Amino acid sequence: MAHGLDQVETAGPTVPLEGTAGPVAQILARVNRLVVIISSVALVLASFVLTYSVIVRYFLKISTDWQDETSVFLIIGAVFMSAAAVQARRGHVAIEAVSVLLSRRANSIRIFLVDIASFAFCTYFAWKSWTLLHEAWVDDYHSGSTWGPPLWVPYSLMTVGMTLLSIQILMQIAAALERRKSIA
Amino acid sequence: MTVFSIGLLYGTATLLVMFAGVPIAFALGAVATLFMIAFMPGGSVDTITQNVYEEMASITLLSIPLFILKGAAIGRSPAGQDLYGALHAWMHRIPGGLGIANVFACALFAAMAGSSPATCSAIGSAGIPEMRKRGYSGGFAAGIIAAGGTLGILLPPSITMILYAVAAEQSLGRLFLAAIGPALLLVGLFAGYAMWRYRQEFQAAKALYARSGVDSELLREDKLSVRDKFALLPRVLPFVVLLTGVMVALYGGYATPSETAGLGAVLALALIAMIYGVWGPRDLEPILTATLRESTMLMFIIGMSLLYSYVMSYLHISQSAAAWIVSLELSRWVLLLAILILVVVLGFFLPPVSIILMTAPIILPPLKAAGFDLVWFGVIMTIVMEMGLIHPPVGLNIFVIKNIAPDIPLGDVMWGTLPFVVLMALSIVILCVFPGIATWLPDVTMGK
Repeated sequence: MAHGLDQVETAGPTVPLEGTAGPVAQILARVNRLVVIISSVALVLASFVLTYSVIVRYFLKISTDWQDETSVFLIIGAVFMSAAAVQARRGHVAIEAVSVLLSRRANSIRIFLVDIASFAFCTYFAWKSWTLLHEAWVDDYHSGSTWGPPLWVPYSLMTVGMTLLSIQILMQIAAALERRKSIA
Repeated sequence: MTVFSIGLLYGTATLLVMFAGVPIAFALGAVATLFMIAFMPGGSVDTITQNVYEEMASITLLSIPLFILKGAAIGRSPAGQDLYGALHAWMHRIPGGLGIANVFACALFAAMAGSSPATCSAIGSAGIPEMRKRGYSGGFAAGIIAAGGTLGILLPPSITMILYAVAAEQSLGRLFLAAIGPALLLVGLFAGYAMWRYRQEFQAAKALYARSGVDSELLREDKLSVRDKFALLPRVLPFVVLLTGVMVALYGGYATPSETAGLGAVLALALIAMIYGVWGPRDLEPILTATLRESTMLMFIIGMSLLYSYVMSYLHISQSAAAWIVSLELSRWVLLLAILILVVVLGFFLPPVSIILMTAPIILPPLKAAGFDLVWFGVIMTIVMEMGLIHPPVGLNIFVIKNIAPDIPLGDVMWGTLPFVVLMALSIVILCVFPGIATWLPDVTMGK
């Protein structure tokens, strides 16, 4: 849509399923597949919830309260949970202009460092999400709307999603190290 | 440290991390987090996750994945080819009618699917071979489709506009309406150019025939029967009627923008199921996974861009930069030109989403102070970003075209798109002289 970014068709998964990180990578690949299916259903469900909202408000004249927030939770959950599956295919866009200027070897070192930086940030974010989730659970945070659902629901999806994303990047770092070892 | 040095450091760090190739979302998040730790009161960094969550949990922003779903559903069905076929059957008698039909098909499809690359590939995969078969030069055919596809980010429902509405705190309804007049202006300019260029190519073919007897497909007349004209309508009309009807639901006050997105997605899925039999899990899987991948990537950039601008504003970087621009006391048109050049340059590296969210806090206050209407500017900024889709070095649409018509040399594609870049620049000049083209419709419909 409207953003000039769509149709990002990236290559297949970048982590080989064998090697020392193999078993974890295999489990993660399976989890990602499952998450993509559930998240896809969540997106469609969110569309139906919003359509339902229009119908009951304008045809049945019933006021709506839970629909907007439910769809927010569904979509935000789908987005965070599938972040690892997107990273598995290197689907988070980056400026790759510098790659043409570097040799193959320098490029693989660059990608390795980029992954470490991404891992550091995502892990920090995941850790902060865990503390937020803990706080929301212990202090029983609710959203400020009239419906007021508990906030641990979306926070937990954000937390699990960011944790999966961190593990995914770690797997990509491990795969790069493995490749280096096998070349040496 | 002064605000100036912090700002300089913030900008340099961002450029370094981004150009190293760290994914844009993580780069923006990481720089913002580091500056929170270094320059903001202790404990501020504890709220980053809550901050990102609250910025992202806006129902307006979350309509984006649903608009993407609607676009993917229509874009991956044969609707684009049918739409193009129907328009061709109706317009083939006009000189250059085939090219004009392609421009119209792009505009209609862009409004339904809302995606520039999807429009290029849906209309282009049928339109480019047909135009070339009928004697159009490769560059001309590619240019029409590449430029027509860019209308996807201007016509409602445009994601660029949704983000601009959030960043500039302007009414999304007004922005959507304001884009319609300029989009029609562009369609008119593109169609006019297509007709003129067709005549040029037709005359050249005729002269060549007279000189050397070499025949050209351009000289042959199309023969399409009345039956051909009506054959595709039953498949095309439901899309046009229902999906423009969704916009009526928005402006009639029946649905909010996010509900419009949900309704559009449900209707698009229902239509492709009924008309093309696309409804089984295996058929839907590519549509849904593509939607999810794109939405996740985009929403991450949006969430982190918002965190980035929050930090920029907390540290007074954006306010100081804006105040500095105002203090230069540039004439309003010089200011506008300078800002548009900045947007073009940023467009070489960054996707429109980041450009809007990162620059809005800096460029909008000076524009407002200079008396520009920010809804009008949203349209202008979007047209500049449209230009970025078809000019090098990024020119995403050029690469989509290269993908669907690999035998047209890249140079021809680029030369073919160039006149359209000029036409877009011309449309910006026209909009500066006659701002009413953008502002009239929202003013009439929604009051001043």
